[in-house]
Amino acid sequence: MTYARRIAAKLGALLLTLFLASLLVFFSRFLVPGDPVSFLLRGRKPSPEAVAAVTEQFGLDLPAWEQYVNWVFGIFRGDFGRSLQYRQDVATVIGDRLPVTLGLVVLAALMIAIVGISGGVIAALNRGKLADRAMLIFLTVLGAIPSFVGSIVLIAVFAVTLGWFPTFGSGTGFWDTIYHLFLPALALAIAFVVLIGKVTRSSMVEQIGREHVEVATSRGLTRGTVIRRHVFRNAVGPIVTVSGLLVAGLLVASTIVESAFGISGLGSLLVQSVDRLDFPVVQMIVLFVVAAFVVINAIVDLLEPLIDPRAAAGADAR
Amino acid sequence: MFTSSPLRRRGSAIVAGLAVAGVALTGCSAQGGSDSAGTPMDWTLTDQTAAPSGDIDQITWASYSEPYSLDYAYAFDYADNQVLANVCESLLRLNPDYSLTPSLAESFANPTPTTWVYQIREGVKFHDGTALTAADAVASMSRHLDPEVGSSWYSVYQNVASIEQTGEREVTVTTTIPDSQFNLGMGGAAGVIESAATLAKLGADYGNSTGGVNCTGPMQFDSWKSGEKIELSRFADYWDPELAAQSEKFDFVFMADPTARTNALKSGEVDGTWLLPMDAAQSIKKAGTGDVLFGMNTAVSNLVVSNLAGPLGDVRVRKALLMAIDREGILQAMNSGVGEVTDVHSTRSVWNDADPAATEAAFTDIETYPFDVAAAQKLVEEAGATGAKLKLVTAPISQDFAIVSQATAAAAKSIGLDVTIDTVTPSAYTALFSDPSAREGVDLFYTIWYLSSPDPMEMYGVFRTDEFSNYGNWSDPDYDALVTEAVSTMDPIKRSALAAQAQQITNRELPWLPLAETPTAMFMGDRVTGLSPSISYLYYPWAATLGAR
Repeated sequence: MTYARRIAAKLGALLLTLFLASLLVFFSRFLVPGDPVSFLLRGRKPSPEAVAAVTEQFGLDLPAWEQYVNWVFGIFRGDFGRSLQYRQDVATVIGDRLPVTLGLVVLAALMIAIVGISGGVIAALNRGKLADRAMLIFLTVLGAIPSFVGSIVLIAVFAVTLGWFPTFGSGTGFWDTIYHLFLPALALAIAFVVLIGKVTRSSMVEQIGREHVEVATSRGLTRGTVIRRHVFRNAVGPIVTVSGLLVAGLLVASTIVESAFGISGLGSLLVQSVDRLDFPVVQMIVLFVVAAFVVINAIVDLLEPLIDPRAAAGADAR
Repeated sequence: MFTSSPLRRRGSAIVAGLAVAGVALTGCSAQGGSDSAGTPMDWTLTDQTAAPSGDIDQITWASYSEPYSLDYAYAFDYADNQVLANVCESLLRLNPDYSLTPSLAESFANPTPTTWVYQIREGVKFHDGTALTAADAVASMSRHLDPEVGSSWYSVYQNVASIEQTGEREVTVTTTIPDSQFNLGMGGAAGVIESAATLAKLGADYGNSTGGVNCTGPMQFDSWKSGEKIELSRFADYWDPELAAQSEKFDFVFMADPTARTNALKSGEVDGTWLLPMDAAQSIKKAGTGDVLFGMNTAVSNLVVSNLAGPLGDVRVRKALLMAIDREGILQAMNSGVGEVTDVHSTRSVWNDADPAATEAAFTDIETYPFDVAAAQKLVEEAGATGAKLKLVTAPISQDFAIVSQATAAAAKSIGLDVTIDTVTPSAYTALFSDPSAREGVDLFYTIWYLSSPDPMEMYGVFRTDEFSNYGNWSDPDYDALVTEAVSTMDPIKRSALAAQAQQITNRELPWLPLAETPTAMFMGDRVTGLSPSISYLYYPWAATLGAR
């Protein structure tokens, strides 16, 4: 299979997944108890005319499949529907919060990469020694801290007691945003560090034991060069694969962290919208997270052969 | 207008468990001490805080939730109204003591029993600089009658036949029956006047985060960063010098998580908040960044009896259950003892214009239900209800929900009744208030019910047969006749005598079980001063009065 065909196949699978996801996301709302109309009328005494008018405004009087078709075609036109709670275009509601969540996830991913990969590398290079064990214990302890506990402790210590960081808000401008998102991103990152750390360590350890590494060492290359060019480069594959999964996990976990830090990202919006039966918003967020997950994993799959030529060779041999 | 609790705390509901853990943890690490919810708190009611020393550049206020909309037609909740009250004005003004005075209507009259005539004030400007006219009033009020709008305030307008401009500055509202309550509602969001041109121009986007509003209040809407904050600023051309804004800028920041809000208050990053979480009040007080204040409220917490076909159909069982509940204990546990146990469904604060003798009768010439398990048990036996099963529905919304439901179940058990607690999601709980099918098989649920007009009849109208919020379908033809007569009685003194009878009847019959009345709890940071911590913050421009301490 050529790389181009591989891309085409991936794209096909991606579109099929998204289509199935859209069906699931849309129709699952009919399984949830509760009536969006009664929410729109906010539990107050409605006149029958008001119920009819509101039902029609939001297209809730149409058959389910027609609502689905309208929704999907709307998405292609950039019309994501209207939020029931905010009486505002879903695109605007989500668009306002997307940068915050993306900033949070990117910042957390960087922290995870820096701490996790360097921790894993240090452990692998000192395999069996004190530093290895210490690093493993350190990463495991971090990994055992749930995001909400991390959030509470970080706010209590660094924001309320020491006053080094703000207790809420997402900031304006580049540096201010980073300043505001630093603690939340840290709370988000600590739970995931262990995963990257352990994958890095085992992948490195596996490579160190390989024949080509011994060959490279015996050829008189310095330890640094061997580790950079022969060990780490070959060990990157699994790390990238896990990173793809991790980004989706971060999107989901950001919900808790956003609530605790009072920042307005997609996660806190999702929680609120589920509670308020704001289906148009819930559906778009879920679809977005699914799409992000699928797309990132497709990219990771396509990147692998570029990073590690053996993967491409293996694919061709099949 | 009516309930508070089902809607107001929903934003924070999902993370309620987290909140409790958070309070405990931050309490310990920051203070080095422990804050027990059971410790009684010193409290007094504050009417008004000291006048400001002068203007202030900027104030940041925490809101427990983001408003749904700033459209007055949907402003039905604490989050919307606490912002809107400073930006948009109504025909009448509901003052901190719950008196009604002229505002955008310079005067009003009731020339026939079914007409209300309002003279629209001259020289008032909207925030865009255009002048207020009678046509603006007609356009704004007529929206409540438009089914396409689906106004949350339709109930105030339910008896309205027409709204017409009858003079250059005159608007006449005609009702189908004499309705004293219509005019009383004009001090709230139902009486807000918006520019007709703005309504036409913004259409469906009116009041949302992109459209915003264009009203006449002392503060104007600047921007709404969705999910994060609403920014207001002083309106230089405001008509009433008495209430000119003391701050240049005023930001509302949304903090759905009570722990996040508590932390922001303790760190001094925000200057205040309404609806202070009582479980955090002690530790916030100790942090020393401002004052915890208690003010006048109109709310009574109740157990709504939602099924009179079941064991609670017998008034003796209702009385017994109320007597078996240790209401003092509940108040202690859920509110650090702040508030008072009550046997009636209204607070004295809404009896402003009443005949003092009628008020006295309404609050003292009543039955009391002291905590008496033995007497209660006897009543249950007399009713032959021993062993009867009841279902109470609650939701993980805030600490008081859990405390009230546990205490009720325990009380019922002590007198031979068997209460099952069913915990549902906050939105399923909210459905109890709007969807009769959601109440099937449900005997009891907890609510806090506040009044947004200065008249007890707003409460007692609810218990009439077939009223939307008469959740248990309690019915008494004599009571219905009495209430209908009261609503049609325009003279507040005469009306209050009828209201007192209505209060005595519901006190005796207990269509709902009243538990306690608790004051409005708020926090005011040490940079600012100059407001009244009254529940009128939902309709009165309180933010304009805040200035530098």
